[in-house]
Amino acid sequence: MPLEINQVRASFFEALNNIKSLQELDELRVKFTGKKGDLTLLLRSLGKLPPDERRQAGQDVNNLRDEIENAIASMSKKIRDSENEKQEIQERIDITLPGRGRLSGAFHPVIQTMHEIANIMQGLGYSVASGPEIEEEFYNFECLNVPKWHPARDMQDTFYFPDGKLLRTHTSPVQIRSMLKYGAPLRIICPGKVYRRDNDTTHSPMFNQMEGLLIDKDVPFSQMKGTMSEMLNAFFGKSLKSRFRASYFPFTEPSMELDIECVECSGHDEHCRVCHGTGWLEVVGMGMVHPNVIRAGKIDPDEYNGFAFGIGLDRMAMLKYGISDLRLLFDGNVSYLNSCFNSGLEEVSC
Amino acid sequence: MLISLELLKNFIDIEISPDELAERLTFSGSEVEGINYTAGKLSGVVAARIDSLEVHPSESKYYIAHLNTGTGEHICVTSAKNMKQGDYVLYAGSGSVLPDGTVMGVRDFAGVQSYGMMLSAEELGLHDVDDPSGLLILPDSARPGDDANKLFHINDIILDVSITPNRGDLLSHLGMAREIKGLFPSKSVLRSPEWLRPLKQENDWSEDFGSISLPDKGCFAYRLGLATGAKIHDSPLTAKVDLAHLGMRPINNAVDVTNYVMLMLGQPLHAFDLNTLPEREITVRAAHDNEKMITLDEKERSLINTDMLITSGGEAIALAGVMGGLQTGINNDTSTIVIESASFSPVRVGQTSRRLGINSEAAFRFSRTVDPSLSKIALTAASALMRDWCGADVDYKPLSSENAASEPKTVKLTRKKLMTYLSFDNMNEAERILEGFGIKHTGEDKFLPPSWRPDITIEEDLIEEIGRFRGYNETENKLPGEMPKRADIGASMMLSSSVRNMLISRGYTEVMTYSFLPVDFPEKIRLPESDIRSRVMTLANPISRDQMAMRTTLLPGLLMALRNALTSGWREGIKIFEQGRVFVNDSEPEHIAGLIFNGVDTRNIYNDRSEDFYDIKSDIEALIMSRGYQAVFKAGSEPFTHSGQSAEIYVDGVNIGFAARLKPALEQELDVDKVYVFEIDLTSLTNPRKPVFKPASQFPAVNRDIAILVSLDKNNSDVMKDIYSSVKEAADLELNLESIRLFDIYEGANIPEGFRSLAYSLSYRSSSKTLTDSEVDAVHNQVRENLKSKGYIIR
Repeated sequence: MPLEINQVRASFFEALNNIKSLQELDELRVKFTGKKGDLTLLLRSLGKLPPDERRQAGQDVNNLRDEIENAIASMSKKIRDSENEKQEIQERIDITLPGRGRLSGAFHPVIQTMHEIANIMQGLGYSVASGPEIEEEFYNFECLNVPKWHPARDMQDTFYFPDGKLLRTHTSPVQIRSMLKYGAPLRIICPGKVYRRDNDTTHSPMFNQMEGLLIDKDVPFSQMKGTMSEMLNAFFGKSLKSRFRASYFPFTEPSMELDIECVECSGHDEHCRVCHGTGWLEVVGMGMVHPNVIRAGKIDPDEYNGFAFGIGLDRMAMLKYGISDLRLLFDGNVSYLNSCFNSGLEEVSC
Repeated sequence: MLISLELLKNFIDIEISPDELAERLTFSGSEVEGINYTAGKLSGVVAARIDSLEVHPSESKYYIAHLNTGTGEHICVTSAKNMKQGDYVLYAGSGSVLPDGTVMGVRDFAGVQSYGMMLSAEELGLHDVDDPSGLLILPDSARPGDDANKLFHINDIILDVSITPNRGDLLSHLGMAREIKGLFPSKSVLRSPEWLRPLKQENDWSEDFGSISLPDKGCFAYRLGLATGAKIHDSPLTAKVDLAHLGMRPINNAVDVTNYVMLMLGQPLHAFDLNTLPEREITVRAAHDNEKMITLDEKERSLINTDMLITSGGEAIALAGVMGGLQTGINNDTSTIVIESASFSPVRVGQTSRRLGINSEAAFRFSRTVDPSLSKIALTAASALMRDWCGADVDYKPLSSENAASEPKTVKLTRKKLMTYLSFDNMNEAERILEGFGIKHTGEDKFLPPSWRPDITIEEDLIEEIGRFRGYNETENKLPGEMPKRADIGASMMLSSSVRNMLISRGYTEVMTYSFLPVDFPEKIRLPESDIRSRVMTLANPISRDQMAMRTTLLPGLLMALRNALTSGWREGIKIFEQGRVFVNDSEPEHIAGLIFNGVDTRNIYNDRSEDFYDIKSDIEALIMSRGYQAVFKAGSEPFTHSGQSAEIYVDGVNIGFAARLKPALEQELDVDKVYVFEIDLTSLTNPRKPVFKPASQFPAVNRDIAILVSLDKNNSDVMKDIYSSVKEAADLELNLESIRLFDIYEGANIPEGFRSLAYSLSYRSSSKTLTDSEVDAVHNQVRENLKSKGYIIR
């Protein structure tokens, strides 16, 4: 009996060594461990042995079955690995070919700026309010302390409709609308499109502003200053020098304009294309809200005061993203928007 | 406002550099936008006398001048003709430098050496001062050898100051001098020029003159001065140079006097020729509605009853405070001049000038308020200058008539409010600052602004004076304290964030186009007149017809963007979107629109990667699904779309927009092939629908396929509806058709003409048990039967 077991083992391993494929291996498995395989036959022949030998022989056959099965499993893995390896070599591709389909699109710098600043201002407690772009003269001017005859109207050349309505010249009407709607205390911003009858290299008849308004008790100028400084530093991601100049807006008193150090040259280039050598850039107009305006918002100016500011979003976007021509922002030309903001393209071609 | 530092010396002595002055003015509210050194690089140019003059021996168009500069004789050739022997001229000798930096040398004129040149006014940068083709002939007061930089204010420094509308008082050199005094209290001293001294004007008028009556109370004061025996000619050279530097064209000596006094004092004046007045009386009255008059610019003006007229004998001779009339002006033969100095209501002048669009120097000043106390002083000054420049006799008592003008009122300033606003409460210093600006402390907390500061009416105005004197830069940075309530970024900003992030990551580029479109845009995109989007709001005063009509759809903007990109040479694919308001029916709904164009050159290493209707459809489905809604597409018929590739988009049964290929005719107009577009009204998507959690079934799904022959006029959506209803009819409540997936479409061999084969995979599932094959087969077979009975052929 042990002799037969040894013969089966020897013939199995001899055959195993010549196996080249999974199919051959499977055939070999059937030949040895199948229903009519050599091992099965061997097992069946055990009955003929005397009882005292049968037990030992049975154990030996089972051991051989384990041995064969392990060998088949290991050979199977070996063949699979080698076949996979071949397949992978066959399936090799040129991974430097361009990705299929389109790259990601690109954001519009002004809308991006609008969201960035709105998020910063939300962190300072300001909610977003809105108002119509086709506005009533009353909200755009009268309520803001600018009666019809007032020369301050010259500062904002206005588009009118035949029915007397107008395209808002600033986001400031939302100050009044918000005070009437929410009362005091109040912190709101309003981003949006505004329109003036101006068209040259530095003026577009449509542009974007963000109004801000804070109404509370005993509000000092220092809080407006601190707020502006936080907003600018967060937006540009660095601490910028800034300066306040006295100015005039009919709806604030006192009024100021805020200049920031030139983001391009920091005042070190007298031929700077951004600041024209002045070293400063005008970015925000603001002031303490005029009592007449607070009153127009049906809030008592003896009890409450506050500050308001108007940020030029296009200007901010141009400064942050290095755009030189305002009018390019509104012609929808994808060649410009994409080449500016899909810097990935350039890296590939380099 | 242009301010001459030379002319400021009439009113103030200062020890301040131009740069320091400009910076201080800028920070205190009057931005200096430029400093102009009028003489530029001028050097070495001197006055010279023409000792002799002869015609060039061979070229008769040239003259040879022998010039005497006091220190030598020079030969100079010129082609000018307006000089004669004995005249004084400005001589730029060899080596001298002109304002623009040109260095003079020796030049040969047909064999005669010319050492430098004699200058015209233009060559000194002075426009309209003298004949540009002739030499500038100097008055006799010039002495040979005098440096041009010291003559006739040629070398001046002009500040270009931007004056805010509240500071009408700064539209003059006098006002600017007062402001500088306030800003530099220790470095300046106010003074007064000789021509402002009081005159002895005691004689009665040599000419009869009736009354001045002011029935219109909008005229606060009206004064007339008389100048007789005037000789009309050019003004003195210095005055002409001054006017030219201040941007005003010299006209003649009488008119120049009025302009000069206005620039110096801020009081607009007018000069009439007495003999052209219809009658010897003046009445200032309100115009009648529809009354007509012809103004100095030869335009006929139609008036309304808030306009104010200066009339004589019932005839309008000037539009008060705005512009003179045509007939009564000064001409070269005028000898008797009436000088008008008046004070008008800023509101009335502002209304008239704004309505008529006349922004004259006078209207500009009156509408910003002219100090009412000026009219008297200015008349004196003008009289003195008429005497000096026109040789007139001005010793006549001025005539005048007055209505009540508003007087300055005291304004309160409290330590508390000052402290609140500026974090500063030194009342003594505050008082000193205010005094510097002419604002007097009248006791307790009361301050009285001067007559020239009508803009100061409330406490905040006083605080601003103190603030702008001290500057705002030293104030501490603080943040407001406790928030009144949670800050809300708002639904519309959140909507915008979400849709732009989604579309940008799906390959779209965000654009922003103008809200106004060419007036014919509805016709261009084939909108019929009955379409609500053809009812456009148009601007009454557009800049151009191309930017006149408020958009009712975002589509034209995107098409323009496409055209702009192609014009600029872009050849690759374009995928853009815009979110913004449209203007329909008095409302401003937020829309989003997108456009796909596969590019001018669509060759690609990946087979058929061109995008089409189904790409834009999936973008829209994803967009709408991201808001928690489901999009339903139905065949559409927008007039600007391809009739065979056009869909309407529905959410909750409401049509919210379209997705389609552009109409081929429009594609041809743009010279492009296959453009896909969509536009959606975002209003109903503003508030996202909250997703509801549905537990997954614990029992497995069983899938069965079905292939159906469908006639070409039936669409997928109809077939799917029929499959759903067939399942419903076949199955009990326990068994659900969880999904239908179309996985194959086939037309061609073995399929009859006019049909196509649609193959669907149906997924059945029960919520209560594991389905057996036989249970599903029974239902599925019944579904096949049901579909047959609906007229389908099952393959």
